[in-house]
Amino acid sequence: MSPAEAHDVLLEVEGYSVAFKTPRGLARVVDDVSFSLERGHTLGIVGESGSGKSVLNRSLMGLISSNRQVESGSASFDGEQMVGRDRQPFWGARIGMIFQDPMTSLNPVMKVNRQIFEPLKLHLGLTGDAARVRAIELLTKVGIPEPARRLDQYPHELSGGMRQRVMIAIALAGEPELLIADEPTTALDVTVQKYILDLLSDLQSDTGMSMILITHDLGVARGRTDDIMVMYGGRVMEFAPTAELFERMQHPYSEALMQSIPRLDQPKHTRLTPISGAPPDPVDPPPGCRFSPRCRYAQARCVEELPQPRGKYVASTHVWSCFFPVASEEGRSALAANSETGRSAAGLAVAPADRTVDP
Amino acid sequence: MRYWLQRLAMVILLLLAVSLITFAAMNVLGDPLFNILGPIAGDTENPENLAKIRAAEAQYYLDRPFPERYVRWLGDFVRGDFGVRFSSDGQPPVTDLINERLPRSLLLMVMAQAIAVAIAIPWGIGAAARSNQLPDKVSTVMSFMLVSLPGFALALVLKYVFAIRLGWFPLAYNAGNPWAERVHAFVLPALTLALPAAAVYQRLLRTDLITTLQEDFILMARAKGVKRRAVLFRHALRPSMFSVITVFGINAGALIGGALIVETIFEIPGLGRAIVEAILREDFPVVLAIVMIVATAFVVLNFLVDLLYTVLDPRVRT
Amino acid sequence: MSRDEGAVIAAERDVQVDHAEGTVEVKRLGIGFWLSIAWIVLIITLAILAPWLPLKDPDQNFVDIQGKGRPPYSPSGDHWLGTDQDARDMFSRIIFGARVSLVVGFSAVAFGFVVGGTIGLIGGFVKGVFDKLTSFVMLVLLSFPALILAILITSLMERSLFTIALTLGILSIAPVSRLARSASLVFAEREFVTAARAMGAKPSHIMIRELLPNVLIPMSALALLGTAVAIVAEGGLAFLGLSVEKGSTWGKLILIGSDSRTLENAPWVSFGPVVALFLTVMALNYAGDRLRDYFDVRELAL
Repeated sequence: MSPAEAHDVLLEVEGYSVAFKTPRGLARVVDDVSFSLERGHTLGIVGESGSGKSVLNRSLMGLISSNRQVESGSASFDGEQMVGRDRQPFWGARIGMIFQDPMTSLNPVMKVNRQIFEPLKLHLGLTGDAARVRAIELLTKVGIPEPARRLDQYPHELSGGMRQRVMIAIALAGEPELLIADEPTTALDVTVQKYILDLLSDLQSDTGMSMILITHDLGVARGRTDDIMVMYGGRVMEFAPTAELFERMQHPYSEALMQSIPRLDQPKHTRLTPISGAPPDPVDPPPGCRFSPRCRYAQARCVEELPQPRGKYVASTHVWSCFFPVASEEGRSALAANSETGRSAAGLAVAPADRTVDP
Repeated sequence: MRYWLQRLAMVILLLLAVSLITFAAMNVLGDPLFNILGPIAGDTENPENLAKIRAAEAQYYLDRPFPERYVRWLGDFVRGDFGVRFSSDGQPPVTDLINERLPRSLLLMVMAQAIAVAIAIPWGIGAAARSNQLPDKVSTVMSFMLVSLPGFALALVLKYVFAIRLGWFPLAYNAGNPWAERVHAFVLPALTLALPAAAVYQRLLRTDLITTLQEDFILMARAKGVKRRAVLFRHALRPSMFSVITVFGINAGALIGGALIVETIFEIPGLGRAIVEAILREDFPVVLAIVMIVATAFVVLNFLVDLLYTVLDPRVRT
Repeated sequence: MSRDEGAVIAAERDVQVDHAEGTVEVKRLGIGFWLSIAWIVLIITLAILAPWLPLKDPDQNFVDIQGKGRPPYSPSGDHWLGTDQDARDMFSRIIFGARVSLVVGFSAVAFGFVVGGTIGLIGGFVKGVFDKLTSFVMLVLLSFPALILAILITSLMERSLFTIALTLGILSIAPVSRLARSASLVFAEREFVTAARAMGAKPSHIMIRELLPNVLIPMSALALLGTAVAIVAEGGLAFLGLSVEKGSTWGKLILIGSDSRTLENAPWVSFGPVVALFLTVMALNYAGDRLRDYFDVRELAL
């Protein structure tokens, strides 16, 4: 991408943090996150449970209605600042969201038609026959056979994959500019997953809308996103264009994520290395890098100092926050040192002769 | 389908059991002959009295064995013939009594339930919408207090405040008054029954609403752009009604016969008072008839509530 | 649900999520609970000690036509809660009335819990014919409107303290056994019971040593609530003139003051005992409710 090309930024997030007041103290669930998303692009946000990725997106949407929430930083959508404002006007019409579990996300006692008609009426002003026609169009678009029949059914009468498609149709009904997909395939069969993800990509190129794809599975993000943002402990670990991330991974956490996914091209019976340990306590996080307790590369500096990103998390750039990145000199010697002693600076046991990532 | 047939069979079995037990209990109680004939009942020596005794026995089948009496009674009952009362002043048919009293009890029950629901629904919704804030905490306390005050105490309080001090309602029911005045006289008794019920309904609705509001599909509805109020009424309300409906049904059944305290305090001649009087006077046919009516109403209402579930929750329809 | 979502919802419910231990701590019983317990203890103590306390004789008529006119006398320094129509001191009558009301309440519950609890516990564990039979019987019992059943039973025998308590106890068997049964069913499926079975423990042994302690927890939470219901039920019976023959209970006291004339001119005759009853029942209800929350009995709810 040439530097001269104008970047049409739809969503710009800077220094965004979300914390919750709990009896034990302030829980910093999202900490100083910055990124930008261009029109028509897809951003993948990858992280394990507890990384803050879901809270990040729900907070951005403004869906969390707790009065213990403390939001700070800036997030502007198409130039309009969202933080500190009631985001209800955005919902459905400008930003759509689909959720993980289609069974619980659809109202079980309401027929599908009513659930689709609602946004059609709210945002496009369609009622009666016009609404029905459009609804059938939408259902067809998401690949549901016999849409007219399905319209009059209840959610439990549909299969998991179909329910997810219905949810997508509902989210698209208002013709939003941005679609946030929160783990859209996690609750689905592996075979259905692919169809849904393909569908989302197709819809995207069709409508030109932007998308944020949230997942804990790097494999899902690969090939379907323009940029990927890796989150851990509420902070951004690494941000890169997708291909770049997989070719030149820098952050140890990203590497660890890669190693824990099974891949077809690995020899059979390759040991999968799950990442040992647990996510940090949002109320009382480690003073240094959040990942240091579980990082094989960790050195003393990592435990004490919080690494800052080298540059801004802007689309198409590759930025990471780490003192001993994987592909660097410092990184390699750090790992070697730890393998020798058998321990990282944070006390994690490091087995000798761990292989590094092989993209 | 099979399920419903099984349920129906269960209902019938239950009612049979209830009737059997009541019938048996009645036979243990005292001496019916005494109630019918008075002191001469024990006098088997005087031939005149003896004739009367025999006649009474024949009429009431008292000389037959227990199982036969039960079956006879059951046969009559099912055909709507509740027999005649064990009373010494003529033998008025029980159905007369029932016809006179049942409508009043029904009216009281209907009014009470209607008022209760009318209060409970907005109350419950309001409490759920502002859950854990001050209005909700106040409402919880009030609800608690209403439930803790026994019916008769509440009746007295209401009577004192609204009938005696404020004079808005009459002190007692008078069957001779015109229709409108009689309904007016039902307001305080209905309120006595309605307020604790409303507190319970409201609490159930609130709890269920709060739970429902945390479901994913509510979040989804919001994310679609549906406004708060619409989400509450159109999405959250219906799935949250189940507990209320269950208790509503149970209550309806219980209220028909269980309002006797209220009937006593406000001097309403209804089913409740009828049965108390009948028990004390050992007027068995009346007792049997009323117990069966109430039990039937109760069981049938429960059955209807289950049926209603399938209408409300499409997932239950199989 | 991801960890952070859990934190959000947990934060909204005043619950502490301890990440390190993975435990969830429900908030404490609360001051209201202890206040309720305090009241209950107070009432019980007063009731037990009544004969020895410096109270006026509850049955004596303190008529004083000269000084105060005709009874009932309003509350004054002499009679803290006034007197009834026969010039009997309300304050002491209320305290003495507590004796019978409380005894009836507690013993009815005790009876119901022992009998109902046992039936339910066994039924839930043993299942089979025994369970089907007892469940059916309970269902029949439940189909009778409670008050009518009570009246039916009390009219069959003379109305002593024992029989009234017994009647109310019988009434409570059905709901209690239902609860005990569902608790028993739940716990019987748990692993520690299967383990005990596998070890060859006898059924009776399992029921007593493994199931009972667990079932007792939700049941004891409900015992307070049950007592409240029993006391109210007794009040209702008394109001209909069907409670104990001798002695006074709160219900009887309320009845005495409930005719329209007395209500109008001397409301304290009725409302004194009403308040006592109300506070006690409310205290029992509240404490029982807090306990139920604390032990999280909801999942086993009737």
